[in-house]
Parts: sequence; structure tokens; C-alpha cells
Amino acid sequence: MSSLLTHLSPFAPDDSGACAVLYELGGITVICDAGGCAGNVCGFDEPRWHEKQSALFSAGLRDMDAILGRDKLLIDKLCQITEQIPAEFTAIVGTPVPAVIATDYQALGRMAEKRTGLPCIVIPTDGTKYYDAGAEQAYYAVFDRFAAEQYPTKKNKVGILGATPLDTGFTRAADVTKGMHYDEIVCFGLDSGLDEIRRASECSVIHVLAPSGMKTAKLLHERFSTPYVILPHVPGTVLEQCRETGIGDKRILIVHQQYAANHLRETLYPQEDYLPWPAQIDCATWFKFDPAYANENDFRIRTEQDFRDAAKQYDLIIADKMFRRVVPDYKGEWINYPHEAVSGSEGASI
Amino acid sequence: MNQNAYFITAGELAAAGFDNLPPELNSAKHMIYSSPATLDYNSPGAKGFGVKRAGLAIPGSVMLLVAPGCCGRNTQLLNALGYSERFFYLLLDDTDIVTGRYLKKIPQACAELLGECSTPPSAVVICITCVDALLGTDMERVCRACTEKTNVPTIPAYMYALTREKRLPPMALVRKSVYSLLEKQKRVPTACNLLGFFSALEDGCEIYPLLQSAGIRTVGEIGRCTTFAEYQALSKANFNLVLNAESRHAAQDMQERLGIPFIELTRLYRLDKIRNQYRLLGQALGVTFDDDDCYQEALETVERFRDKYGALKIAVGECLNADSFELALALTEYGFSVPEIYGTVGERNFIFLKKLAALSPDTRIYSNLSPSMLNYRCEDEPDAVIGNDAMYYHKNVPGIGFQEEAQPFGYRGVTLLFEKLDAAMQGVKP
Repeated sequence: MSSLLTHLSPFAPDDSGACAVLYELGGITVICDAGGCAGNVCGFDEPRWHEKQSALFSAGLRDMDAILGRDKLLIDKLCQITEQIPAEFTAIVGTPVPAVIATDYQALGRMAEKRTGLPCIVIPTDGTKYYDAGAEQAYYAVFDRFAAEQYPTKKNKVGILGATPLDTGFTRAADVTKGMHYDEIVCFGLDSGLDEIRRASECSVIHVLAPSGMKTAKLLHERFSTPYVILPHVPGTVLEQCRETGIGDKRILIVHQQYAANHLRETLYPQEDYLPWPAQIDCATWFKFDPAYANENDFRIRTEQDFRDAAKQYDLIIADKMFRRVVPDYKGEWINYPHEAVSGSEGASI
Repeated sequence: MNQNAYFITAGELAAAGFDNLPPELNSAKHMIYSSPATLDYNSPGAKGFGVKRAGLAIPGSVMLLVAPGCCGRNTQLLNALGYSERFFYLLLDDTDIVTGRYLKKIPQACAELLGECSTPPSAVVICITCVDALLGTDMERVCRACTEKTNVPTIPAYMYALTREKRLPPMALVRKSVYSLLEKQKRVPTACNLLGFFSALEDGCEIYPLLQSAGIRTVGEIGRCTTFAEYQALSKANFNLVLNAESRHAAQDMQERLGIPFIELTRLYRLDKIRNQYRLLGQALGVTFDDDDCYQEALETVERFRDKYGALKIAVGECLNADSFELALALTEYGFSVPEIYGTVGERNFIFLKKLAALSPDTRIYSNLSPSMLNYRCEDEPDAVIGNDAMYYHKNVPGIGFQEEAQPFGYRGVTLLFEKLDAAMQGVKP
């Protein structure tokens, strides 16, 4: 059965992705749930929760609130918070509860703006999709709303999109930008706030680390003619293991988010460090898969069985160690390529 | 703009009365802050025994979580506790939710997951979430269909965060679920069960020898059952002792279905009240308990601690094995002071609050769930803290989480509390 997971746990959902983007932007983020979704975000998917404070709350919905559609109560509660915590904007992030009762998010947003006097962005996630879908929506919503003004372009300033901890595992921008040599580098949403988003047009180029940032990169290109390049981060530990394990003459499968998997393949192929070159390197992902960025044999994994079937064809798999549970009888070699959205903190230790 | 964490003093709160609880202390009237201090409270599956882990208290059972992916995400935390082979997920997409088609898939999913189990499970627990709460799913019926298809007993567990403040919240319903597979059998006069917790009482608890002195030879606890047969033997009990009010509904169900009556006790930290409770239990059982030694040992532990450290200021949280307000009252009666409590005021513990207000009206009461706790800053550090949440707020103060899985109870609970506090005061890390 395609929707049955017998070996894996669910991956980071769309509401977690949206919250990851909004986390450091200085707004008040309300997860429109009863408490459990917010607990999942704060307690598992957001490693910054114990490091950096953020005004991220659960709406604390109760059954009668949902059944009777008490939107006014939600807005009352939101107003109450804006009197206690200074914020530049408010954000409402969806979960299965408002999805089931078909909440009118746009109306909620308008009501919130009217009552609080603050801009409100709404992210209609529903908890059934993966984190990249929610992160994409959140990036787009905040940039569309706040990156409106054209500032003079700074020649050597780079903006980075897609660097959420769910993609990189990093909670500090310095870890993402290590080894990059520019006058100014801004990791949007990581050690940077709303003001950097307002000034996004200053960037001379946008680096897109993950598919969740692509839609927004295109928006900035359309709006400010800012060029973008796909340049994901590949952990040095993974490359080191590739050197140690040896990749020559092997059939290799890389599993991660699409850009990260592609980038690792490109890193491995032309380097003399890795000679002899592998017989074949294919990339696969459980997440967003754009054929425009795929090689002929690349594919999207939808079920555990897909992965089981595919694994048989490779000598070496480079993927989060969580996936190994799906193929306990796999006889080939395995290099752990941690993906926070898959294994969370479990994957951090290689 | 008031940027301080909201609090109210015990005196003000007692004077206002439970009916006039300020909105900041009523989680239905404000947004909920998933404070790092209290994640185990706010997230049903995050830590401790939430619905997901509790549902697996039946030995040999497995769980099928039927929900959107977001509901099961943090279940990975339980892998470290050895549950990775016992969780399965049927993920819902938006079409499933709109059409309800997933309900027909559940029996097949149960059949498929059985094929993945190295040993046949004793039961399948189907955990459902807010989605089914809103859709009004008849999960009992679906479970019957699963049982018919697989011949493995299948029961529901309701992880309805939406109903957390209802008369039957999720943690009360799951207690009923985990005893629901017990079948009526001949009762044994010398057997009783302890209901209330998913793990067992601390081994040194005096309740075991006290019950033994009353002729009880078998004390059943679900947390000590290692096989399904041991679990099934729980229905032989002559009576149940309910040690946590959240198990009352389960006990009522067992009384109706299995004919097992129950007696309710409360976990207390005031020695005279513990003694009184045992006296009443003895009366109900027709015996007189000799608990003098246990009482004396606990009393001496408290007095030794007080003599050693004086009238300490001790802050009390709610992520601990106690009722925050009863524990604060006990500490105050023992001669300590409680400057702050981080707790949830309910009808049940308001009675303790009123007594506390008479002794310590200036005790400040905070709600962990209030968004204003984002602004919490302590102006007057206590000398010690109890509770994992209190430890979070006061990282540089000696403290104990006092939230171990082995449950403290009775005199032994008091002794353990002060022994652990003593160790913490001496710099031993919990």
C-alpha cells in the first residue's frame, strides 16, 4: 500500500517547513492547530527552539472552536499577543484542522491585519505534504509581501535561499556560508531578519540551496532582474567518506533533496580525487522533483517499495541512514548523507 | 505594551475564586506557547507517556497511526526507547480526508503491517488524531473490521488534542483503551491492580508490603506486564486501586465490564494526609495498616533536610511526578517557602491552592503555556527547584526534574523527593 510506512517515520511536514522559514523573521507565527502540530514543530523539527527564541505559538484550537468556526476568537487571541510581544508582522500557518473545516485563510489574514494593524501573511499548509512545499509557500509569501522596493544593487552581496535547518541541519548562517568569499552574504531567515528580506534587491546574485527557494528566486529575478544559481551545500564529512570508501567503477545512488543530490553528483564526477570515475551515479528524492534538473535515470521515490526495488541496482547508496531501515538486506555500501527533514536530530551523528 | 510574563499571586487567585480564573491561566483563552520548558506537556507524543507511547503499554502490541504525516513526525523520538519496530503509519493526503476513502484501507494496512512483524503482535492499536475527531469517524467499527480481517484484536486510541480540556481528555481515553482487551474471568480475592500510570511504581514503595499485610498476594500493574498473558491476568483482580484520577474512566469501565470495583487514592506529599489516606484504605479493606515506620522514615528525611539547609526557597514546576500545588503546599507546611509555581490551575487542585494561599499568599503563579512566558525573567532566584520546567527557567540553581518513569507514591515518594533534593544541593547532577 503506497501510503503505508512500515519502516520509516513520517518526514518533516509542510507546516514545519513554513515555520522554519518564518522562525527568525521577527514576526508572531501562529500554528493554527490544537497543540500537537506546534509540539511537533518546536519539539522535533526546529533545532533552533532550544537556541534562539521565537514568537511561535499554537492557536490552541478546541473542538468547538473548529466546529463553530470561531475565527474571531483566534483573532482575539492574536491581538492579545501583539499587546505582549513586539512584532513586525503576524503569520498564520495551516494544519489539518483548518484544512478539514475549510478555513478561509485570506479572510483570516484580512481580519488579523485590521485588528492588529500589522501585516499578516497566511500559509495554507495542511500537514499532508512535505516540508519543502511549506517552505516554498512561506518564502514566496514573505518575499512577495516585503521585498517590494528596489534598492541599489551591491556588487558583491549574495543572498541565500533554501538554507533552512531542515535542509542543511545548520542553525547558524556561518556554517552554511563557510568557504564562501563575498563582501556580504545573507542567509535569508537564518541569523537574519525581515529587514534583509526588504533589502533583497541589494543582492547581486541569489544562491538557491534547495528546491523550496526556487520559486522565490524566480520572483526576485522577475521583480529586480536578480540572477540566481543553484548552489547547495554538501557536508565535508560526506565527501570525506566518499574518498575513504572509494567510488570508482560503482553504480551509485544519491538520495537527498534534488539540488543537494545533484550537487554531490557534480562534485564527485569530475574530480581527480575520486578517480576512477564511477560507472553510474543516479539521484533520487522523496521530495520536490523537477525533471528540468534531472538526468535521464534520476527518479522520484514515492513509496518504501520504490526504494527497495531501486536499491537492488546500486553498489553504493549515499543517503540518510534512516533509509537503511527500508532495506535491511541491502548488501552494498552505504554513506550517511544526513537530511534533517528525514531523520531529524537522529541523522546528525554520522 | 506589557512585556512581562504574566503571574498572579496565590492570595489574589484564591480571593478571585476558580470561577474567575484570569484568562492568562485558561489555555482555551489564549494562544499556547510550546515553551522549551514544557514540550512534553504540549506535544502528546514528544516525551514521557503521551497517547502514542501509552497506547503501546499492552505487551506485544503494535500501533498504526492513521493521520497526516505531521501528526506522527516526532514519533522518531520514541525510537531511542526501543519502539521503532512497533510503529506503523498510514499517511493521509488531502483526498483521503475529503473522501474518507482511507477508512476502507485501514483493514488492509493492518494485514500488511502484520506481514512486517517478526513475531505476531498481541494487538493492533489504531491511533487517530484531530482529523478524525472533526470527521466524527466511528473507529470502533473500523477496528472491528480490522479484527475480522486479521484475527488480531484491534482497538482505537484517540489522540484528539482538540479535546484536551474535555471531561474525557486523550490521556483518560487511552487509559481506557489499554485495559479494553481484558476479558472477564474469575476474580481472585488476593489480587488487586494499581491503575494510573503506564510505568510501575518505584520498587521501594510501601504500598506493596502494606497490601501484602492485608492479604493481597498479587499486585498487578500494566507497567510490569512483560507478556500478553500477564496483561490478561489483570482481569482476575478483586479490586483496582486508582492512583491517578485520569484512570477513573478506565476503572469505571472495568467495573462495568469485568465487575472489578475500585478505590481511588491520590498521590500526595503531605505526610499526615498520606497517613490519613492509608487509614481510610485500610478501613475499606477491613484492616489496619501498620505504617508507622514508613511515616517515621519519611518524616525524618524531611526534618534532616530542613535542618541541613534551613528554610529554602523552592520553585515548583508542573513537569514532575506530583500535583504542583499540592507539592507546594507540602513544602510550605514543612517550613520551606515557595516563591513561584509554574503550573496549570484546575478545579481539582484549586483546593490545594486555597490552602497554600492561606500560608503563602505571595507565591507567584505562572502558566507555562502563556505566550507571555516568552518574556519570563527571574528577578529573585530560588535556592532550589523541582520539575523539569522549573529547571529550564533556573538553569544555575540546584534542582531535580523528579519526573522519572518509576512512579513515586506515598511515604516513599516523600523520602525520594528529599533524598534527590539533598543530592542536588550537594551538586550531584540529576
